[in-house]
Amino acid sequence: MRSLDHLFEASSRTLARRTSRRSLLAVFGQFLTGAALLPLLPVDRGSRAWAADAKPKPDDPQSCEYWRYCAIDGFLCSCCGGTSTSCPPGTAPSPITWIGTCHNPGDGRDYIVSYNDCCGKTSCGNCQCNRNEREKPTYRPSRNNDLNWCMANADANYHCSVSVILGVAEKK
Amino acid sequence: MRSAPLLSAVVLGVALSARASAAPAAPPPLPSEHLTVERLPAKTAHWVYVFDEAFINEIDSRVHLFDGDTYRRLGQIDAGFGGSVNESPDGTNTVVATTYFARGSRGTRTDVVEFTDNATLAPTREIVLPSKRAMTVPNVFNVAYSADGHFVYVAYITPAASFGVLDPAHGAVLGEIDTAGCALVIPSGPKRVSSLCESGRLLTVTLDATGHEVARAMSAPFFDADADPVFVQGIPTTQGYTFLSFLGEVHEIDFSGAQPVFAPVWSLVDAAEKGKWRPGAMQVGAIHKSLKRLYVPMHAGGEGTHKDGGTEIWVFDLATHRRLARWPMHLGGSARVMAVQVSQDDAPLLFAATDSSDVAVLDALSGHVKHLEKHLGQTPWLMLNP
Repeated sequence: MRSLDHLFEASSRTLARRTSRRSLLAVFGQFLTGAALLPLLPVDRGSRAWAADAKPKPDDPQSCEYWRYCAIDGFLCSCCGGTSTSCPPGTAPSPITWIGTCHNPGDGRDYIVSYNDCCGKTSCGNCQCNRNEREKPTYRPSRNNDLNWCMANADANYHCSVSVILGVAEKK
Repeated sequence: MRSAPLLSAVVLGVALSARASAAPAAPPPLPSEHLTVERLPAKTAHWVYVFDEAFINEIDSRVHLFDGDTYRRLGQIDAGFGGSVNESPDGTNTVVATTYFARGSRGTRTDVVEFTDNATLAPTREIVLPSKRAMTVPNVFNVAYSADGHFVYVAYITPAASFGVLDPAHGAVLGEIDTAGCALVIPSGPKRVSSLCESGRLLTVTLDATGHEVARAMSAPFFDADADPVFVQGIPTTQGYTFLSFLGEVHEIDFSGAQPVFAPVWSLVDAAEKGKWRPGAMQVGAIHKSLKRLYVPMHAGGEGTHKDGGTEIWVFDLATHRRLARWPMHLGGSARVMAVQVSQDDAPLLFAATDSSDVAVLDALSGHVKHLEKHLGQTPWLMLNP
């Protein structure tokens, strides 16, 4: 899927600039600009539902095998009072996120997905799900699901994760 | 002959009476007791610090101290919200970088580094950080000591990447150093910190005696983050760290000099296995330094399975790069190995933490499973044995 990665070459370059402290505000500005075009994303880590264990349940938002969860890591907000695209009541979405590229077997298209975290309450603890298609380590944060993407929220506690379609990934 | 039963009764009564008088006295009451605080026994090479992310209630992570000989839990160090943990070079102190919220799960955020005396498991000092701590899964490069113990480095991700330099003796934050495009803190020598870069390079920053930057240099690329990324979970070696790639390449890096030196790359898998068998875990390898043995949780799987735990542990000779053994892990149901650590003595134990929250104790020479400690926390993802 390297062609899909080209889609995000520009955003990756933006992210590469994020490392300067002095440019942090500018970087956040760029993040937020991106957020206006494409909703932002989520967080998290290890778990019980593993990629190799996945059984086909590609249409169930409360299933780790839901197609758009291909790089999610955390608790599914669909099981925590929210949905796959909404945070549970009383939580706040993270303004910054990581992204994945997932294949929808329903229409045969690949989609860019934003994995936002929902923040401000302690761990939901339900429907823990860890999938890592095209996920990258911490040195590429835009593709990393190990980080707590609530990190920039006023209340930085991690509660659960959603997956928001940003658009179709066009193949070159 | 009515007198016969009467006589018998008298005799029986006398006998019972005699027997009663010969019975031991009632035991004395239990003595009153005094509540004390247990002291740790003398440390052994088989103690292991098991970090539990406590992912189901992440504001309450902790470190369990576990004895691999007696299978006893010796004590606990608290680690706050998704803490990161490491040990001092002399093994006398545990450092935890973590976050607390003023109202438990919410409220004002305080990032802090906490030090614990390993002889007492009591906290001894804390240093409050700027609210920039890298909130990520456990890794020995989230917080780390310099080789001489004079500095502590803390990875910051906001998501801008930098790191803090701390003076643990005086409880002070000395400064912050930008690491544009690179992340985490890989310590070497008394005054060097390297970071892994998205470009596949290592950034190495050299500090002065006050913890401020005096030089920085970028290495040549040694991996391709698109084609075959390296895990950030480096494995300590005698001269540096070894990094494994998603596909099983082994990058041995000597950090003993001013700049990192890269050994020729070799592979955990042969041509037939490549892309089919691969390493995967949260702590993806352990090395016995004097035996030169590398232990890696391996599983059969494709792209995207790099955090699936191991169904087997593969053992390699670092001198010859030859695989010495494949140990299938039957640790209860479908449990997979999520973290490994090995003691450094000549009768080494291999510790294998699973995604069922258990920790197995194995003979590191034979692979024999000596014990399975059930539920050593929720999500034991990193183990240390200073």
